[in-house]
Amino acid sequence: MQTSRLWDLIQEPQGLTTVFQPIFETRGASGGASGGGHRRLFALEALTRGPKQTNIERSDILFEYVRRKRREPEVDLLAIASALRQARGLPGKPCLSLNVHAVTLEREKRLPAWLAELAAEYGVPLDSLIIEIVEHAPPWSGPCFLDNLDRLRGLGVRIALDDVGLGQSNFRMIVDCRPDLLKIDRHFVDGSHADPMRRAVLESISDLACRLGARAVAEGIEDERDLATASAAGISLLQGYLLCRPCSPRALKKMDFMTSPEHFRELGSDALDDLTQELPRMVLG
Amino acid sequence: MKPRLLVVDDEESILSAIRDYFEPRGYEVDCARELEEAEALLSHIRYALLIADLRLTGVQGNEGLELIRFARERSPWTRTIVLTGYGSSEIEMEAIGRGVDAFLQKPQPLAELAAIAANLTGRDA
Repeated sequence: MQTSRLWDLIQEPQGLTTVFQPIFETRGASGGASGGGHRRLFALEALTRGPKQTNIERSDILFEYVRRKRREPEVDLLAIASALRQARGLPGKPCLSLNVHAVTLEREKRLPAWLAELAAEYGVPLDSLIIEIVEHAPPWSGPCFLDNLDRLRGLGVRIALDDVGLGQSNFRMIVDCRPDLLKIDRHFVDGSHADPMRRAVLESISDLACRLGARAVAEGIEDERDLATASAAGISLLQGYLLCRPCSPRALKKMDFMTSPEHFRELGSDALDDLTQELPRMVLG
Repeated sequence: MKPRLLVVDDEESILSAIRDYFEPRGYEVDCARELEEAEALLSHIRYALLIADLRLTGVQGNEGLELIRFARERSPWTRTIVLTGYGSSEIEMEAIGRGVDAFLQKPQPLAELAAIAANLTGRDA
């Protein structure tokens, strides 16, 4: 490969940075009529940002670039290292959800051992890690992919499947990967309060997750009514801008759900409004 | 809203010259230096116009034509101009076959390039 300025920047020590978006867990079946009620932090999804002041600072453009370069494995490992490094010092040792391309799981035989070493170095318990499989193009059917998932599970790492309901994130993928978490794509969450079809999909995936011994996560919640709809569908793991935008580690440390992560807290609509008004000043991405 | 323009060239001086000329004339200009970077931008940002050098560092061959093909497929609303210092009639015919809107030789006076860009994006030059 010829020299590339962008590729060199990605590989610099601070080339990639990480922001974190909380996934909340609601207590009880519906979390109240408004979808509010008792919530606690379940995990933080690590979201990678590219080198600052470049065209690839935005994560969607970064990973489009990386996929076109066919360098997903190297960047996934760099992103994981960045996430664990930047999560150091967060109160309560929260669970971390780390995005990994399916192709990385197929090509990187050393991933589980490498992750175990890195987690030990940063003092992160392996059972607090979730590997979230993204971009499940055909390599996921390979033997290394499934072997890596087994070995990760053997270490105590949980497996999540991203974008359930879209593209390759289908029933076969669910059966092969046996995920602990099914992350329902925002396409089905957004507007679900007004769309019986979307609501039916949410209920169906929630029920499927339950029957498989997994849990469903509703992503992309930006509306109180969709929050209530997801909760009413039995989905107790929730993520989206309405609840909390992606935050820098420094901003996260100021959040009350971080300082008392072991306790359910009453987070009503007013508290959420306060939070969402406060966040833009602290948000990186 | 300002028309958004993507300029793709491996020469920093050309990127700077085009940006410095077009921005004061009401365009929002993004610059990319390699094929994959330009493809990633075209995949996520809606551009009115793409101005691409024929040859870019990174891949052997006429990457500008590859980029035109990509733009036609993934960003069909984007009008396209290819600039080249190596143009032959065969390459020009290939570019036209791929749907390029204008195939121009380097060096190209910026005022003429701006007039063509304005025509393609429906603006006054």
